[in-house]
Amino acid sequence: MMELTSGQWVRHVVLHPFEGFEDVRWKKAGSVRIACGILALWFLGAVLYSRMYGFQFRATSDKLFNVIPYLVQTVILFLTWTVGNWAVCTLLDGEGTMRNIFVYSAYALVPYVTSLYAETLLSHILIRDEAIFLTIIHDVGLWWSVLLVISAVKTVHQYSVMRTLFAILLTIAAMLAMLFLMVLVLSLFQQVYVFVYSIYTEVVYRFRV
Amino acid sequence: MKRMLTACLLCLAAVQMPLTAAAQEHYDVYNYDRWSEAVPSQAGYTAVRSVSGEMLGAGDFSQPSDLFLDAEDRLYIADTGNDRIVVTDAALTEVMRIYDTFVMPDGSETAISQPKGIYVAPETELLYIADYGNARVLVSDLDGQVQLVLTRPEDALYEKESSFLPQRVLADKGGNVYVVTSSTSGAAMFGADGTFQGFFGANAVESTPAVIAGHIRDLLSTQEMRSRRARTVPTAITSFDLDADGFIYTCTQSTSQDADIVKKLNPAGNNLFSGMYGWGDLQPVYDAGTNTTYEPMLCDIEISEDENINCLDRTTNRVFQYDKEGDLLFILGSTSDQLGGFTEATSLETCGNTILVLDGRKNTVTVMEETNFGTLVHKATALFNDGYYEEALEPWYEVLRYDGSYRQAFLGISAGLLVQGDYEGSMKYAKLADSSYRYDRAFECWRQEWLTEHSRALALGALLLIAGGILLHRYWKKHRKGGMNR
Repeated sequence: MMELTSGQWVRHVVLHPFEGFEDVRWKKAGSVRIACGILALWFLGAVLYSRMYGFQFRATSDKLFNVIPYLVQTVILFLTWTVGNWAVCTLLDGEGTMRNIFVYSAYALVPYVTSLYAETLLSHILIRDEAIFLTIIHDVGLWWSVLLVISAVKTVHQYSVMRTLFAILLTIAAMLAMLFLMVLVLSLFQQVYVFVYSIYTEVVYRFRV
Repeated sequence: MKRMLTACLLCLAAVQMPLTAAAQEHYDVYNYDRWSEAVPSQAGYTAVRSVSGEMLGAGDFSQPSDLFLDAEDRLYIADTGNDRIVVTDAALTEVMRIYDTFVMPDGSETAISQPKGIYVAPETELLYIADYGNARVLVSDLDGQVQLVLTRPEDALYEKESSFLPQRVLADKGGNVYVVTSSTSGAAMFGADGTFQGFFGANAVESTPAVIAGHIRDLLSTQEMRSRRARTVPTAITSFDLDADGFIYTCTQSTSQDADIVKKLNPAGNNLFSGMYGWGDLQPVYDAGTNTTYEPMLCDIEISEDENINCLDRTTNRVFQYDKEGDLLFILGSTSDQLGGFTEATSLETCGNTILVLDGRKNTVTVMEETNFGTLVHKATALFNDGYYEEALEPWYEVLRYDGSYRQAFLGISAGLLVQGDYEGSMKYAKLADSSYRYDRAFECWRQEWLTEHSRALALGALLLIAGGILLHRYWKKHRKGGMNR
């Protein structure tokens, strides 16, 4: 029963939002490699979505392009989610391992990532009067993924629904705390760097004089 | 030495703007692109001469503050510091008359003091003088016989205003007189017989966070607390002008508000330009020398015969010319002592294809003449705004030969090609203009055409796809039996 390939498991999970993850858990399926692929596709999709969108809907300025914000908004955000969820749910008696949280959450993103590509593609065919189709695709993709994420968290930790929602709220709080700390650390290192650099300049100056 | 200086200046210019287009202007001529960034452009006007009172034979002007050209092409200069009004011909070659005293209806003579504004009604040929020093508005005929004197209204509506210091004045076709004082209630409006009728064209208070916070605080505070709080009042309008159709345009010299900087008011006082932002310089100019940031302050507005809107910015001493839809055409002038630069621009007026700018510190009138490029842009804009998109194509192409980054030209060509049925060209130019709206219009037509042309192939393709899908499905079913059995 349920002898599926890795690719088929993704399809199974996406099309069965309520028991799909239970099946994955039961069969110990789910591959890190595919999860990483989904993540990479998400990042690429986010870049395409903002840069290659149909010109009739959005004029993008080509003068400036920076890949870092996209990286932060996709990959780093996801890694923060994984770590945050793991940290919170370990305290809340969750059964999920870091690996499983990572894999299940990535699988849950498939509808959203697909909608990114579909919307970007369709935006080159449709005109402004038909923008409603794009909105529909976007909303369906987004909410389907939200549903899957809830299902994933519920399954991976074996929680009740209320506990899942509570855990997700806590995870978001944990993510904010982590991002805050990251910014803090970054600025701290910057100051240390400035300090070291000024000492270096000072020393070099003394030697020269 | 001189050569070195020139070389230095050239280097400086090269560093500041590597693509300086106009050679004859002493300042960097620029325009704004779709992303509100300044890009080098061609000059639409160039200063040809500046005229002082001495050159006209009337003695130097002193802090002149208003210019007006009447229907008979007489130019009136409100020579504020010398308490007089100088009338010259439109070419600024000779003085035709100097008004300093007027004859009152009862026969007595009266002198004007610091006149700040002047208007001549084309229908009645009556002079309207904002007699600032005497706190009154004089309405007189061309011979200096005063017909009407407007002073501070004794009206309940006017109670809260403490003073009546007229700065600008104009009269509409019905003879109603509008007077700009520093009142935040708008321009005081008088009937043809001199009775006070109320206020016209007040600015709205902008919903800044501070104002909204004040409203919320008002809800929670007592009457006594509320009365102690500072009132939120809009900034007063600074100047106005009348166009041929009787609309009044106002401009407001303010660094604190963004809305209502330029308004187009219909007779009912409704602003047809509401929601339009971005008059004057789009980015505040930072000057490292004085460590100040300059926000545009529009101190005068003038609607020319071809319905272009000219605004004068006293911060940077630049003239911003817009077409009647409010799209930026040209930016001209600078702060400098050279010809074409101003030190304290106070008023502007248009005369045919020239712009006259009054400088209150140099005490001169500068004549700026339309360049070839300016003529072309005006021609194209006029055709375009009247809906002659195809006829405007040729001038727009010509404009692009002068300035290859002139955005209005790309928009105009895109619209023109769309009318001609060249959808692909229209899409191309819409893309060059960074206008997704124009692109959408062209793309819709292009897609329609493409679908019609390829309808047969498309239908065939769809049929093949469906047939192929069914066949493939059958094939899979046969070969993967037992592959996925739940």
